[in-house]
Amino acid sequence: MPDFKEEIRKRLVALNLAPTRENEIVEELSQHLEDHYEQSLRTGVSGDEAYDAALNELRASDLSGPLKQIERRVQQEPVVIGRDGNANLLSDLWQDLRYGLRMLAKNPGFAAVAVIALALGIGANSAIFSVVNTVLLRPLPYKNPERLVMVWEENSKQGFPRDTPSPANFIDWRDQNHVFESMAAIVEASFNLTGAGDPERIDGHGVSAGLFSLLGVEPQLGRAFRSEEDKPGGSHVVIISYGLWQRRFGSDPGIIGNPINLNGKSFIVVGVMPRTFQFPTRKDQLWVPLAFDAKEAGQRGSHYLEVIARIKPGVTLQQAQAEMTTIATRLQQQYPETNTSIGAVVTPLHEQVVGDIKPALLVLLGAVAFVLLIACANVANLLLARAAVRQKEIALRLALGAGRARLIRQFLTESVLLAALGGGIGLLLAVVGLSVLKRFIPPNISQAQAITIDAKVLIFTVLVSILTGLIFGLAPATHAANFNLNDTLKESGRDSAAGSRGNRIRGLLVISEVAVSFILLIGAGLLINSFLHLRNVDPGFRAERALTMKIVLPEPRYADKEQRGVFYRELIRRVETLPGVSSAAVATNLPLTESGNSVGVSIEGHADPAPDRVPIVITRIISPRYFETMGIPLLKGRAFTEEDKSESESPSVIVVSETTARSFWPGEDALGKHIKVGSPSNNDNKWLTVIGVVKDVRQFELVVEPKPQMYLPFTQANFFEPRALVVKTNLEPLSLAATVRKTVWEIDKDQPVSDIASMEHIVSESVARQRFSMLLLGIFAGLALVLAAVGIYGVMSYSVAQRTHEIGIRMALGAQKKDVLKLTIGQGLKLVLIGVAIGLGAAFILTRVIASLLFGVSATDPITFVAISLVLIGVAMLASLIPALRAMKVDPMFALRYQ
Amino acid sequence: MLDRELKKGSAELLILSLVQDRPRHGYDIGQLIELRSRGTLRFNIASLYPLLYRLEKRGWIRGRWVEKAGQRRRRYYRLTSAGKKILAAQRDGWREFVEAISLITGIQHA
Repeated sequence: MPDFKEEIRKRLVALNLAPTRENEIVEELSQHLEDHYEQSLRTGVSGDEAYDAALNELRASDLSGPLKQIERRVQQEPVVIGRDGNANLLSDLWQDLRYGLRMLAKNPGFAAVAVIALALGIGANSAIFSVVNTVLLRPLPYKNPERLVMVWEENSKQGFPRDTPSPANFIDWRDQNHVFESMAAIVEASFNLTGAGDPERIDGHGVSAGLFSLLGVEPQLGRAFRSEEDKPGGSHVVIISYGLWQRRFGSDPGIIGNPINLNGKSFIVVGVMPRTFQFPTRKDQLWVPLAFDAKEAGQRGSHYLEVIARIKPGVTLQQAQAEMTTIATRLQQQYPETNTSIGAVVTPLHEQVVGDIKPALLVLLGAVAFVLLIACANVANLLLARAAVRQKEIALRLALGAGRARLIRQFLTESVLLAALGGGIGLLLAVVGLSVLKRFIPPNISQAQAITIDAKVLIFTVLVSILTGLIFGLAPATHAANFNLNDTLKESGRDSAAGSRGNRIRGLLVISEVAVSFILLIGAGLLINSFLHLRNVDPGFRAERALTMKIVLPEPRYADKEQRGVFYRELIRRVETLPGVSSAAVATNLPLTESGNSVGVSIEGHADPAPDRVPIVITRIISPRYFETMGIPLLKGRAFTEEDKSESESPSVIVVSETTARSFWPGEDALGKHIKVGSPSNNDNKWLTVIGVVKDVRQFELVVEPKPQMYLPFTQANFFEPRALVVKTNLEPLSLAATVRKTVWEIDKDQPVSDIASMEHIVSESVARQRFSMLLLGIFAGLALVLAAVGIYGVMSYSVAQRTHEIGIRMALGAQKKDVLKLTIGQGLKLVLIGVAIGLGAAFILTRVIASLLFGVSATDPITFVAISLVLIGVAMLASLIPALRAMKVDPMFALRYQ
Repeated sequence: MLDRELKKGSAELLILSLVQDRPRHGYDIGQLIELRSRGTLRFNIASLYPLLYRLEKRGWIRGRWVEKAGQRRRRYYRLTSAGKKILAAQRDGWREFVEAISLITGIQHA
C-alpha cells in the first residue's frame, strides 16, 4: 500500500494547524486516497496507474484553500460556551465586553447610528437634569434653607393672593408671632454710585438688620448690621457684594470702614458678602438698613415690603400658617379701614424662588425622558434587525450548548456597552447644550448661572445610560432567549430571517415611537400655538424703534419735582434735537418691566366703597409726547402738553385708559369726569379732571388682561418720580444709546444711566419664560419626530428587503407596481395610524399637565391635534415611501434568482 | 426561500441526506453521491472534506473515529439533532425553490 500521508501533509503546511488536528486530517484523507487506490486496483489497472489516479484526485484541485476558510474561521470566532452557575462571572463579563466591542467595530455604521441616537437622548436628559438639579433640587445657599419662608399679605378679594406687606403689618407680625425664630423685611432700593469711575446705577435692597443672621450667612469681610443702625438717624452704613467689591474697589480689604458715595450721600462700608451670596437675586449688589421712621412704621395702607422668616425648629409650615392667620384676623378687627380682607400666607422660600419655572422644568424633564424612550426603541429596532442577521451565530452557540441566560447576558452587555458610549458622547452634548441653554433661561431664575454638570448629574447620566442599555437591550435579548432553535433553523432556511415574532416586536416598537412622539409634538404644538397667541397680543403700544434707559435722579441733588422737572425738560429738549430722533419722553415705569405703581382712587359722584372695594388704578407719571413716543393711540380728548404746568399754575388733569373709562363711567363720556387719589375720607387730594382716553396697555405681563390705568403729567404728580427715558427714532435704537448717554452726562456728569435696551427687547424678555419652554419642547419634539421617522424608515426598509422574494413572486404573478406600493405603504401606514390613535388618547390626558403653561389655547385644542396628526402621518408616509419605491423597482427575475 | 449556504450548492443538503439514516465515512459519502446521481455529481477530496468539516463545526453532523475488529479506524459522520432540523428546513426550502422555478418556467416535476 503506497503512503499518501506525506503528499497530503505537504499541502497542509501552509495552514499552520494544531498538530493533533493536522494528524486527524492527514489520517482521514490518506484513507480516502487508499480507498480510491484499492478501488482502482479492483478494476484491474496496475498498481502505478492506481497510485497515479489516487494522487491525481489530490492534485486536481486546491485542498488548502477551502480548508483554510473553515479551519481559520472556526479558530477566529470564539464560541462562548455556556456554563452552569455564576462561576467566572467576571471573566465572562470581560469576554462579553471584548466580544461586544469587536462586534461594534465590525459594524461601524450600525454602531454610529445607535450611539448617535442614544447620545442625543441621554445628552438631552443630562442637560435638563442639570437644570432641574441646580434650580429645583439644590438647596438654597443659606443655613438650613428648608426652614426659610416668605410671608405675604393675602388679598385675593382685590386680586392679590400674594401681596407685599405694609410696614405696620410686618412689625405687628414680627412682634406677635411665636412660630418664627426671626423675621426680616426687605425693600428694593437702587443707588447711584459715584466717585471713582463712571457714575453707576446699582441695584440693592434695604433690609432689616437681622436679615443676614436670619439667612445664616456672615459677611466675608467686616460685619453685619447692628440693630441700632436699623433706626432713623442711625449712621449711614452699607454692605456690598463680593462682585461689586472686586469690580469697583479692586478687592481692597481696606474698604471696610471707608465711605462710598450713594445717591449723593456718604455711606460707610461695614461688610463684604461672600462670593456665593445672593439675595434676593443675583442682581443685588448692596444692602443698606431699612431704618423705618415713625411715619413709615405706622403705614398700614401702602404695601411694598417683602418679608422673609425662619421657622423655629419643630414648628411645621401648617402651624406657622395657622398662627399667622390668627394674627392677621386680629389685625383685620383692629384696623378695619386698612386691613379688611387682608390675611397672611406663608410659603417656603424655595417654592418662591423656583415656583415660576417648576412646571415648565418638570414638563421638559418628562419630554426628554420621552425622547430617550424613542431613541431606545430605535436602537432596539436596530439590534433586533441585527439579531436577525446574527441568527446563525446564536443558533450555533445554542447548538454548541451555550445557556440562554449566558446569551441574554452577552446581549445585554453589548447593549449597555452601546448605551455607555452613547452616554459618554451624550454628556459632551449636554455640556455644549447647557452653554446654549443658559442663554434662554429666563433671567429671573436666580440660580441659572450656577447650572453645572456636577457629581449628581454624572451619577444621573451613568444610571440613565445603564438603564437605557437594559431597556433597549431587553427586547433583542429576550428575543434571543426565546429563540426556538427549531423554528429559527427552519425559518432561516426560508430566509424570513427575523421571523414573525421579530416583526411583531418591531411593529410594536414603531407604534410606541409614533405614539410617544405624537404626545411630544402635541405638547410642542400647543406651546408654539400659545406663544404665537402671546406674540399676537396687542400690548397697546408700538415697540418698534424705541430706545429705553433708566435714569433715576438721586434725592439730595434733585429734592423736589421742580428740580427734577428742570432736568427732564432739558434732557428731552436736547435728546429731541439729536439727529434721527422723532420724539422723547420720560415715565415712571415702562410697560412689561414687571414693576410699577398703583393707587386707590375715589370717583366723583360715586358712593364710598367698602374699604376692600376701593378701585385700584395703575398709575404712570409721564412727560408730554409719551403716548406719541410709545405709540399708544389716543382714543378721545387730548394728550398732555407743555401747557399742563404745575398744580398752582394750571388745572390738575389726567388721561385714563379705555378700561378705566368703561369701568368707572359705563355708558358715559369719561372726558371731564373727576377722580382723586386716595380713599373718599381723605380729602386733602385734589380732584383730577379726565382730559383724554388712551388705549389699554399691558403694563405687567402680556398674559395679564389690562387693568384700569391712568396717566398724570410729571409737572403735577408728586408721589412717584419718572425713572425711564424713551426715545423714538428712525434709526436702529441701540445705535443711539451712546449719544443719548453723553447727552445725560452733559447735563449732569454724575448721573448714572442703566438698563439700556430697545423696547422690542423688553417685550421679548417679558415672554422669556414662555419662549424657553416652547423652544426646548419644540427642539425635543423635533428630535422625537426625526428619531421616529428614522425608526419607521428602518423597519420599512428591513421589511421590504425581507420581502423582496415575495414581492418578486407577486409581480411575476401579475401584481402591478402600484399594488406593491400600496402593499408597502399600507403596512407602514397601519403601524403609524395605530400609534397616532394611542398617542391621541394619551395626549388628551397628558396635555393637562401643561395647561398652566398655555395661553389662548386649550390643552385639547382640536386644530393642534388635527395638524399634528397630519404632520406625523405625512412624515411617516414619507419615511415608508423610500423603501416602498425600492420595493416597486424589484425585478421579479432578479428577486427569484437572488436567493 | 433558499438559504444562502445552500445557494452555493446543494452539497450540504446532499451530505445531510446521506448521513441521515446511518453514519458514513467520507469515501462512502463521495461514492454514494456519484453513484446515486448516476455520475452527474462528483466530489473530489478537496471539496468533500472541507464541506464535511464545515458541517461538523456547525454542529449539524458529528464525526467519530470508529475501530472495528480487523479494520483500520475510520471516521464516521452521523446527523446530529440540530442537523436533523436543518435538513428538514433545507428540504422545505429546496422544494419551494423548485416549485417557484417551475411556476415561472413551466417545467413540471417528473
